[in-house]
Amino acid sequence: MAGCTLTGALSVACFIPGAVTVVHAPRGCAHQTFSMLHAMMNDANTNITPEIMVSGLSDKDVIFGGERCLRQALDRAAEKNPDLIIVVTSCVPETIGDDCRAVCQEHAYAKHILYIPTSGFLGGSAKDGENAALIGLADLADPAEPIPGTVAIIGEKNLESEVEENFSEVTRLLDLLGLTVTVRFCRNTDIPTLKKLGTASCFILRDERSYDAGCELGKKFNRPIIPEFPRGLSGALTFLRETGEACGISSEKIESAVSEETAYQEDMLSKFSNLKGSSVFLGAELVKGTFAVAREAIKRIGMTESPGSAEVRLPFYLPVGISGTMKMLYLWRRKILHG
Amino acid sequence: MDEGFCVNPVWPCAMTGACSILAGFSGLSVIIHGSSGCYYYPRSLLKVPLFSTYLLESEIVFGTVNRLKEVVTEVSKTNKPIAILNTCIPALTGEDLAGAFRDGTAIFVDAPGFAGNVEEGVKIAYDSLAIETNEMRDGVNIDGVSLLDLFWRGNLHEAERLLSTMGIPVVVRFAKDTYENLRNGAALHTISVNPSYPSGVGSMLGSFLFPDLKETLENLAKTFPESDIDPALDEWKRADEQMFYYSDKYLRKYEPPVVAVCSQESYAIFAKKMMERYFGSDVPVVLARNRDAKTISCVTDLTEITKKITSCNPDLILGSSFEAKAYPDAAFLGITPPDRSRVSISARPITGIEGGITFIEGVLNSLMDMTGQHGRQP
Repeated sequence: MAGCTLTGALSVACFIPGAVTVVHAPRGCAHQTFSMLHAMMNDANTNITPEIMVSGLSDKDVIFGGERCLRQALDRAAEKNPDLIIVVTSCVPETIGDDCRAVCQEHAYAKHILYIPTSGFLGGSAKDGENAALIGLADLADPAEPIPGTVAIIGEKNLESEVEENFSEVTRLLDLLGLTVTVRFCRNTDIPTLKKLGTASCFILRDERSYDAGCELGKKFNRPIIPEFPRGLSGALTFLRETGEACGISSEKIESAVSEETAYQEDMLSKFSNLKGSSVFLGAELVKGTFAVAREAIKRIGMTESPGSAEVRLPFYLPVGISGTMKMLYLWRRKILHG
Repeated sequence: MDEGFCVNPVWPCAMTGACSILAGFSGLSVIIHGSSGCYYYPRSLLKVPLFSTYLLESEIVFGTVNRLKEVVTEVSKTNKPIAILNTCIPALTGEDLAGAFRDGTAIFVDAPGFAGNVEEGVKIAYDSLAIETNEMRDGVNIDGVSLLDLFWRGNLHEAERLLSTMGIPVVVRFAKDTYENLRNGAALHTISVNPSYPSGVGSMLGSFLFPDLKETLENLAKTFPESDIDPALDEWKRADEQMFYYSDKYLRKYEPPVVAVCSQESYAIFAKKMMERYFGSDVPVVLARNRDAKTISCVTDLTEITKKITSCNPDLILGSSFEAKAYPDAAFLGITPPDRSRVSISARPITGIEGGITFIEGVLNSLMDMTGQHGRQP
């Protein structure tokens, strides 16, 4: 299950303070995403409500054309004098032939309008929408000299309920290397900060969903990219080595960070020592890569895998570092000890 | 001029509304003829199995009938009747989709999102189902049950309980029943647990919402002379006294809360009447979600709603967590979706006698929670 490009693009565009998002679509399309954002904001105990303006195409507009609706929506958005107006479209204007780009270019506020041609499902999937938004927004940033010791995070999943927990895990690891995240592209980051994207010495992608945008941005700013957040236990050590090397950190410092992290992992895994000798059966692999993460945890704790044993559920996301692995293990422990 | 323009729209589209009705009839397979995006939302909201054609761009260019027939053929292997729910893009491309299924293979429901909001979709779905009454079936239909409603399970249980105490059989539940039962025909008479979701089937004897219940019970007694409404009337009276007891206790300490209400018209009017009856509240903001509201104005733009709420500085918001989030200074009780303020798994009613009590109980607890948090003075 996944949304269309509109949902994907909005999940990026709505997290930029100072920007206003205009959706050229029937109201229902915008409601879907707004409703999802609201759910996620509640999960994350966030009080910010993103503002999504929708042109509100009706049954009449789909017959007579919707450009007038877009123009009026842009007028209303411009009245707020935002730093940026981001325009995204659903499949309806694409089908009825609205020239959205021209409407944006001709508008009095054109200099501050960023048109992202998403076109609902006609433009692909939610993933395509996310990438289109990331690439479009990267146009705001100018080329710059990299500042040593800084990194940018690209393509965090704003609709993921544990997005902040994953970010914390990554910053904890980066801290071991002495690296600082200067730009979260694009999560709760204002326009002036987004414009500094080029100053980061390395781009860390959330995962393969943002790979297209990550490659494009890496090429544009000539920066190394780390393809994903650390997967499980050994993934965290690999992440430290790859990121350290990409950022020019000395090999001594990298190995020191790896040692520190290995000890930390052992300490955290000791909480599950009562599972040693237990046997489990891994259910279906809903997300590719979770088997590997789970099997590594089984081995490290001293558990075994056997078809007739307690079936434990694998997560539908890739556990990030030791923090994500422990969340998985808490569920396993509940199952093993309490049925 | 820009009547379609809206900021943060709070109410779903016609397709979602139609889907909530069709999916309520178990035994009917619902195929959403559209993209994964159009499928994703009703699927996650309604939490029922749905099928989809998952249209791709190439199918829009070369026509979608073949793809639809392919999915219908596959789904028909389950030997269940099928409803096809059309979405925006195939509705725009001019294909004769309804014509492709005139042989009765499937019911075609043309409810694209741009046709309006939930209620327009609900009407299209009911019209497409072409429901007939059957005078041989004795009893009443329960109307106004929608999978989109926060209280649908509780409302259904409460309506069935009350009708059972009166000795009146339930014939068809709109829209949570088996498709087979629906096709056997509906009863000639209907009561509603939420009049904002009307099926239009049978003669309407009234609403089971607490302020309307006594009149509806009397209508039932006239229509079903052998029924016994006295136990329900006694229960209503006891509940009324209980609610006065607890609201009086509140009013000994605090001033009547100023209230803002935002929901479908039926629940909004219910909430207003309850707050006025038991608390003597001032209810300066009463806004409807449904465009066909007759007695109050419909607003689905969250910034407009927030402006109106802010202007009256309410103590209590009865609406969705959209409003609660936008105006966090008031106590809140969810009466319309979404309600993200709480985990809600049980079958809570808002209709009937238990629904009235549950509502007042919720109001009092919300007000007291807020008083505790803010240390509000009497």
